Amino acid sequence: MSYGQPPPPNPYGGQPYGGPPAGPPPSNNLVWAILSTLLCCLPLGVVSIVFAAQVNGKWQSGDQAGAHDAANKAKNFAIASAVVGLVVILGYIILVVAVGVGTT
Amino acid sequence: MELLASGQPTAPTTRPGRGAVGGFVATTGAALAAAGVLRTVDPHQSGHYPTCPFLAVTGVWCPGCGSLRALHDLLHLDLVGGLQRNPLAVAGVAALAVAWVCWGLRLAGRDAPHPTRIGPRWIWALLGLVLAFAVLRNVPGWTWLSPA
Repeated sequence: MSYGQPPPPNPYGGQPYGGPPAGPPPSNNLVWAILSTLLCCLPLGVVSIVFAAQVNGKWQSGDQAGAHDAANKAKNFAIASAVVGLVVILGYIILVVAVGVGTT
Repeated sequence: MELLASGQPTAPTTRPGRGAVGGFVATTGAALAAAGVLRTVDPHQSGHYPTCPFLAVTGVWCPGCGSLRALHDLLHLDLVGGLQRNPLAVAGVAALAVAWVCWGLRLAGRDAPHPTRIGPRWIWALLGLVLAFAVLRNVPGWTWLSPA
């Protein structure tokens, strides 16, 4: 009596259900979040930390689409905090040079 | 997306692209330039840098208030002064320095930790730390956490 062939290998790569998906995880921009928290003086950095945590959490629980979605938001908040920081610095320079605020 | 990189063991033979190395060099140069300015132009004197907009609008210390002065003190090797201005900034710069070293190691083909591999619990803990720091440094009795 034949016991037949061994079971075929998992065609989907043998990824355990609920585990992190295969492939590189999306960037969580945690470094940008810390930078904007410390240097931009704005709640934007705090929001960036929330999204960075969501990226890693969703990825590790297997939610690939959610992780990429959170990664996009983390990236957009990083860009927003950089833009706001630049606008504040440029606005300050304009105030100091053109109006003379801060020279007294 | 690089599908080929998935599931493969660490392969030191894969050379990083020119753009990746360029980004590392540019970031390092920008950080050194900023450190040079910050070391020379003293943020302890008012008028040298803009006041934190959050502090200017609300009158409340934010988690980043005092970070310029803390980094200036660190660049003059004054660790105590840096901790008095903003202990979170001192810790944050140390963490960023570790991230920078790991980035360089990865570019060199070594296996080094990446921010995407940090457990989400640790990032939530960081969020709690930042929020607690933001509140406490405005509470009477905890003003040693504030830059003043």
